[in-house]
Amino acid sequence: MKIVQLNRREFLKSSALAGGGLALGLSGFAKLAEAGGESALPPYLRIASDGGIHLGVPSAEMGQGTHTTLAMLLAEELEVEMSQIHHIETLHHPDFKHPTFREWTNSAANFQITGGSVSIRAWHLPFRKLGATARELLRTAATRQWNVPVAECRAVNGRIEHSGTGRSLGYGELAGSASRLTPPENPPLKSPEQFRLLGRAIPRWDTPVKVNGTAVFGTDVDLPGMLYGTVKHCVVCGEKLTGVDDTRAKAVPGVIAIIPLEDQAVVVADSTWAAMQGAQVLTLHTTGGYSDLSDESIARQFRSDLAKAGVPVAHRGDPATAMGKAAQVLELEYEAPMQAHAAMEPLCATASVTPEGCEVWAPTQSSDFAMMMAMGVTELPPEKIKVHTTYLGGGFGRKVEYDFITAPLVASMVLGKPVKITWTREEDTRHDFYRPPFLIHMQFGLDVHDMPQGLRAKLVGPAVSRRWQMPPPWLEENGYDWVVTIGMFDGYNLPNRTPDLSKAYAIPNLQVDFVPSDIQVPTGAWRSIGTSHNTFALESGLDEVAHAGGHDPFELRRKLLTHNPRALAVLDRAAELASWGKPPEGRFQGMGYTDYLETYQVQVAEISVSKRGKITVHKITCVADCGQVFNPRIAKRQLEGGILYGLTATLKGEINVQNGQIVQSNFDDYPMLKLKDTPEINVHLLENHEAPGGLGEAGTPLIGPAVANAVFAATGKRVRRLPIRPKDLV
Amino acid sequence: MTELSINGQQHRLELEPETPLLWAIRDTVGLTGTKFGCGIQQCGTCTVLIGKRSVRSCGITVGEVAGKEITTIEGLSGDSRHPVQLAWVEEQVPQCGYCQSGQIMAAVSLLERNPNPTDKEIDRGMLNLCRCGTYPRIKKAIRRAGQMMEKQNA
Repeated sequence: MKIVQLNRREFLKSSALAGGGLALGLSGFAKLAEAGGESALPPYLRIASDGGIHLGVPSAEMGQGTHTTLAMLLAEELEVEMSQIHHIETLHHPDFKHPTFREWTNSAANFQITGGSVSIRAWHLPFRKLGATARELLRTAATRQWNVPVAECRAVNGRIEHSGTGRSLGYGELAGSASRLTPPENPPLKSPEQFRLLGRAIPRWDTPVKVNGTAVFGTDVDLPGMLYGTVKHCVVCGEKLTGVDDTRAKAVPGVIAIIPLEDQAVVVADSTWAAMQGAQVLTLHTTGGYSDLSDESIARQFRSDLAKAGVPVAHRGDPATAMGKAAQVLELEYEAPMQAHAAMEPLCATASVTPEGCEVWAPTQSSDFAMMMAMGVTELPPEKIKVHTTYLGGGFGRKVEYDFITAPLVASMVLGKPVKITWTREEDTRHDFYRPPFLIHMQFGLDVHDMPQGLRAKLVGPAVSRRWQMPPPWLEENGYDWVVTIGMFDGYNLPNRTPDLSKAYAIPNLQVDFVPSDIQVPTGAWRSIGTSHNTFALESGLDEVAHAGGHDPFELRRKLLTHNPRALAVLDRAAELASWGKPPEGRFQGMGYTDYLETYQVQVAEISVSKRGKITVHKITCVADCGQVFNPRIAKRQLEGGILYGLTATLKGEINVQNGQIVQSNFDDYPMLKLKDTPEINVHLLENHEAPGGLGEAGTPLIGPAVANAVFAATGKRVRRLPIRPKDLV
Repeated sequence: MTELSINGQQHRLELEPETPLLWAIRDTVGLTGTKFGCGIQQCGTCTVLIGKRSVRSCGITVGEVAGKEITTIEGLSGDSRHPVQLAWVEEQVPQCGYCQSGQIMAAVSLLERNPNPTDKEIDRGMLNLCRCGTYPRIKKAIRRAGQMMEKQNA
């Protein structure tokens, strides 16, 4: 059987992320703007004749609550209640290229994407302005109809009222005439004391459909005449398909076609179950692959690369002299293994390809990447492709990738019918873009007062952005990759590459280097990216410094952050709320601090450890200053959820590789935290009017070191590798 | 041919008796509120009720449940006003929402047996996975729903 060859490298080169080609490839898209013709309002804000607001938003809804928060931002300025928001969807639109990713890459990365905890940070003002623009247009339309001064008309609860006569018109009645006006350049925005909605725990817009089964996730797309399918990948990393033996697969009732691709075969059937059964008995013939690859070979590679000179990440002072003069040098090594994303919704997508056009329905974090994949596979121009973003059953960075868009596109092209592909859990676990494994070596130089005067850190692991072909300065030719170095005195220094260390720990002499050490296991963005491994190392390392010098870990952090009042405030509040230093009998505390995403945050874990090394996490106190908060309940739950996501990676499984194959496959051998493992979590926000910080990933990286530091307090055993295994503690 | 009674409706389905109930519900009947998560009865996203008992529908065949009363999330109430659904809204439980149909069905079954479960009983009864970390609210919502159900039954 012929293997369908997708000239993926070519189309990636021509149309992809590198150098903003994607934007060029999509330039025709601007013309596509959803119906509506000439209107003062963009097509993603439609006011229906019944006054209902139909809203398209840039961000995918994967649980973070951005649909709700973006609608609140708009509704606040537009002067409507949330009940008047009749429809919200993630819309693929050229206006929705992400401004923060552009900023990070000197405008080279120009795409619609949901990731990096920058949805609300980037879109809060544009959505308020959008609401204010519409409000002013509606006001003007009413004043023209009544022939009265604008100042006499105000917007209230979805209507424009005239103060003199008490007349009023609903938005639905005014929408038509408003859309023919010229939008104001700078519509006035409300001041925070005028807010009705923002700052309040408004219920999520998507809750009703998520308690009655009607929310449509990627797996739930249903089209007339649709076929169902699944994929079976080559099991060894880097293996390619040479052919298949599909005799048994084709004998499974319901199986319609087997389509071999470069590294996988697509099995299409009249039901998902038939396809999965077919895939199970399908034999793949393969060539190549890195069958010598293992955890041990990766560890050896990192160990040998540790001796190499790295790429500079951060530098200040004179670290060599500081180390020479140190009264005591602590030499520490930390390791983080791979982790899978394990979203509850396995990877899936649906495509309908005809000679006239192509539609894709996918739980994607980037409709532009899905578009790019569709362009590459179908060779159709962008104006003939439509990407629909469904609800995501969790994303966590996995669904920013676009590998899972390929199979339905090819299958639909080959078979001439819409095809929905659902991966099995085993495929999802074994063919992830994992959190990269890392080895982190640190030397702390302590002075006679046991205060750290110098830190040399070397980070060894894969440069994950290479595969994304991210433009500099995000990823540089020498291998510098911001995605994996962030969290170790790297901060948000893009695009200038001069790290802003003004808010970081006051260790005067610093040298942080990154040694790119690529591995043949695919790695990617896992909730909190580089901060995940770097915060574990740094916050555990500081705990070691504290104990080596007889400092209280809280007091040490305080001394190192006296120049950062927002950090001091969260430290003090966390110590107070967690009763730092005074845990109940038999319980022990550990602490961590981070300013990741410009959210200043402290977590305190309170744990106990049994004689057999079983850790019980009783209580987590999280105090965060994330600046302005638009919906405190959603904000707190992002932190809470992030903590529990990180706690699984702290206490449960890891991803191993042996003989070039991923060992784990499903939730039986890659266990997740359950309700019974869930501690009491208290999240406190210190609200202020600073610019909003990120929240989606912020909770995740800190819980590992907080728990590990508590384990040291409980047992005297230092955890230098996560997840913590009970056998390490006895 | 298999006859299934789902949400009070009879379905005559041309399916092999060994087809997992999950796929009959999703692909054949077209009720997609019940989710696929793992296929090996580990995650619980596919939880439905057989009678009043919660069952992971990926691990039971249509042959085994033929003639029995099957309830999916869509059949729990016509108006989303089952006490567990109301409590889920009150506590604003869902984030991504993918696991929530299964969580709700598991909670319904737990509370039908015992509207006032202890912490331990909730721990033992709620083994469904959630990756967004909604567990603290699930716990609260179960207590709230239990109180509503006790009042209804009083």
